[in-house]
Amino acid sequence: MANAAPSTSLALPDDPNVRGDIVLEDPIEGREPLVRGDRDFHYITEAVCRGNELPLMKTPSTFVFGLLLAFAGFLLFGGYVGWLFWEGPGIWGNNNPVSWAWDIVNFVFWVGIGHAGTLISAILYLFRQKWRMGVNRYAEAMTIFAVICAASCVVLHTGRIWLDYFLFPIPNQMQLWPNFRSPLEWDVFAVNTYFTVSLLFWFTGLVPDFATLRDRATVKWRQLFYGALALGWRGSARHWVTYEKAYQILAAFSAPLVLSVHSVVSFDFAVSQLPGWHTTIFPPYFVAGAIFGGFAMVQNLIIPARAWLGLKDIITIRHIENMNKIILLTGSLVGYAYGMEFFVAAYSGNEYEGFTFINRAFGPYWWAYWIMLSCNVLSPQLFWFKKLRTNLYLSWIVAALVNTGMWFERFVICVTSLHRDALPSSWEYFVPRTEVLFLLGTFGLFLFLFLLFIRFFPVIAISEVKTILPQANPHWEGYAHAKGGH
Amino acid sequence: MSHHIEKPTDITVPPTSLWAKLPMIGGALAVVGLGATLGSAFGHDKARAMFSYLFAYELVLSIALGSLGFVLIQHLVRAGWSITVRRVAETAMATLPLFLVLWIPIGLLGLHELYPWTHETDEILERKRWFLSNGFFFGRAGLYLVGWSVLAIFLYRSSVKIDSLTDMGEKKKVIHLIWKVSAAGIFFYALTQSFQAIDWLMGLTPHWYSTIFGLYYFAGSILAMYAFVSLATMALQRAGMIKKAVTAEHYHDLGKFTFGHTVFWAYIAVSQLIIIWFGNIPEETEYYMARMGGGWEIVSYALPVTNFFIPFLYLVSRHVKRHRTAFAVGCIYTLVMRVVDVYWLVLPSYGAHGEGAHEPHLAVHWLDVAAVVGVAGAFLAVFGWLMNKNKVIAIGDPRLEESLAHENY
Repeated sequence: MANAAPSTSLALPDDPNVRGDIVLEDPIEGREPLVRGDRDFHYITEAVCRGNELPLMKTPSTFVFGLLLAFAGFLLFGGYVGWLFWEGPGIWGNNNPVSWAWDIVNFVFWVGIGHAGTLISAILYLFRQKWRMGVNRYAEAMTIFAVICAASCVVLHTGRIWLDYFLFPIPNQMQLWPNFRSPLEWDVFAVNTYFTVSLLFWFTGLVPDFATLRDRATVKWRQLFYGALALGWRGSARHWVTYEKAYQILAAFSAPLVLSVHSVVSFDFAVSQLPGWHTTIFPPYFVAGAIFGGFAMVQNLIIPARAWLGLKDIITIRHIENMNKIILLTGSLVGYAYGMEFFVAAYSGNEYEGFTFINRAFGPYWWAYWIMLSCNVLSPQLFWFKKLRTNLYLSWIVAALVNTGMWFERFVICVTSLHRDALPSSWEYFVPRTEVLFLLGTFGLFLFLFLLFIRFFPVIAISEVKTILPQANPHWEGYAHAKGGH
Repeated sequence: MSHHIEKPTDITVPPTSLWAKLPMIGGALAVVGLGATLGSAFGHDKARAMFSYLFAYELVLSIALGSLGFVLIQHLVRAGWSITVRRVAETAMATLPLFLVLWIPIGLLGLHELYPWTHETDEILERKRWFLSNGFFFGRAGLYLVGWSVLAIFLYRSSVKIDSLTDMGEKKKVIHLIWKVSAAGIFFYALTQSFQAIDWLMGLTPHWYSTIFGLYYFAGSILAMYAFVSLATMALQRAGMIKKAVTAEHYHDLGKFTFGHTVFWAYIAVSQLIIIWFGNIPEETEYYMARMGGGWEIVSYALPVTNFFIPFLYLVSRHVKRHRTAFAVGCIYTLVMRVVDVYWLVLPSYGAHGEGAHEPHLAVHWLDVAAVVGVAGAFLAVFGWLMNKNKVIAIGDPRLEESLAHENY
């Protein structure tokens, strides 16, 4: 059982910076402990709050440097958007449909990233996968920030952004309604629902931990700040009952959202008649790809963060390994979809389908296709080997490759399908110019928000992690028993 | 831990129970059903008999193949909860060699009646010859069927072997081999289960294609497997076996998966429908057009309600999943609806090609029933025989205790 094997942790060294990285053999009986070391409840609180409670003026200079760097990226984003408002989306080269791809590529990339957070927080919760409790807070935060980046792409690409409210079905005096049969309109609903529910879910989980920070606060502003966020949480039994119910219901609401959002995004492409876009496997294929890219982003963030924040006992190598396994699974699913698309293009006997896929692999954009294929399908296959999937450096590199590959996947889908469409007048070889600044800017925005989150919010779900300590097991029989073994 | 959980001892089929007679009963059903169906295949009803047979074959295969997928996944994710019910799925999986034998009538008798590409030709079919040709078709079928059989026999035998092992070192060796084989096996399973659906079902309408089709079959197959495994486990308990080993907690989880795959099936089905409907390209809409006339439209309109809304609303309840009788009703309903789904996949193609081709119309034939009785009878005979032969629970699994103590919290 999950909590019944304290003896293995005793064999580990005492240094918490080493202990979390030690790879234990896959047990065929019992389970590896989720939190390493003989930790009590209080340790969890201390370990997580330590970073948040550092006085502002004592923020480590490396962190300040990182924050400034991210802020520079954010400024780039702001500046570029300012120029976009001034000049119009012509600076994105949108006079040609092939170049429309840029904003769409980035939108799909960012909204996909968010899916890992929802999968970890909702689906793994419903599956009672207790290892999720070490990583869910990060992943959920990542979801929120990624959706903000994604939303910025669509909100800004409409051209006259002051008319963006047209996207909502508001009765207006011009009798102008959005087309409810358009998947672009479904996108508006899907992404908005997704953002709202994710935010509520994240916040609900944070409430007890905000209360912890409030109760521990030693200065006025922190008392007020966390006090307001904690919504009067007192930790009474009644509060907990309500909390658990709310959490369960929000998890149940979020679970279908993991599928629905990216399915609707895939409909944007798939309901058209364009070869390369119109194919029935798109919805599950997009969802698998989104989870794939999302987990890669979690790895990229969490591998450095757990070392930097000294949380290796809570986010152990086992967590990293588990997420690598999900990357392997979803990467293979994506590979299945690439293969099935190619096969059916050949099987269909339809020359347009056939041309599109041959052109994808060997046409002018061959390089994008092969980057996508090698990063997304080949690189995760390394994770079949335990030695490789428990290597932190390699995990980080593969995750970065996967993120690159997933960006190129969207590029391949959008650009290569459009650049030889049925209208030869719009055939073009699209080369991004200043748009690259926009992509860099969204990364700045994302990292800026993420670093602020790390500094001020509890990065681990304190109250949840406490429930997976051996002491929380009703059958636990005290420290002496745990130390003495069986 | 102080509270030791006792290993179950009621793990073999009592000689007086119905389970002991299952091989005989199944065998008798098989003789009657297969005799009637294949007998008719030599008469003037040949085409109808072959369509009924293919329908029954794909229906029952989906349970056996779904079980293979389930077992592979349980090993790969190191599942603990499912160990007390895994043997039931392993036994259903171990019937796969039977489907190698049962495929022979499709390949030898019915190829011409079932698959128009074997004798018709036009420009598009000529372009598809590289894939739709007799030699390649038989080669692929051989690969799937032999591959599944080898994989299933290996997994079943290894699991049974652990039952009698006492040395943890030896167990570890077997389990590590199972893990390795499962890793390669899941790739083989994913591809072959998709391509058998493409070959044997999509090939019925050789001009039509859909990239999601393999997943459609997978969703239904895993769903049918969960319903079957739950029902078989309940039947074992009724006959006085594994009384304490399988609890409401296990049914709750099986129920969650049944519920989840009901939703998954609907998701896949609606994805295919929306994309084809919206695109409105004739070569794709053909599939739905064949199901929108001659009475089939009733089934087409009913499917979302009967296969999604009703089981969704029923199985969403925690109480239903944990209550044995209520959950049994849900499982039987799910299996019946799986019958409708496979029927709807296969039969609209009957009579659509060749001499006397006509618009599809829904007409249930006695051969449909006979074929299902025959194929399901043969399946149950082998399933029952293996259940009698070995323990009904993976008693030697090192994580059995974890599964016995499993709780949903």
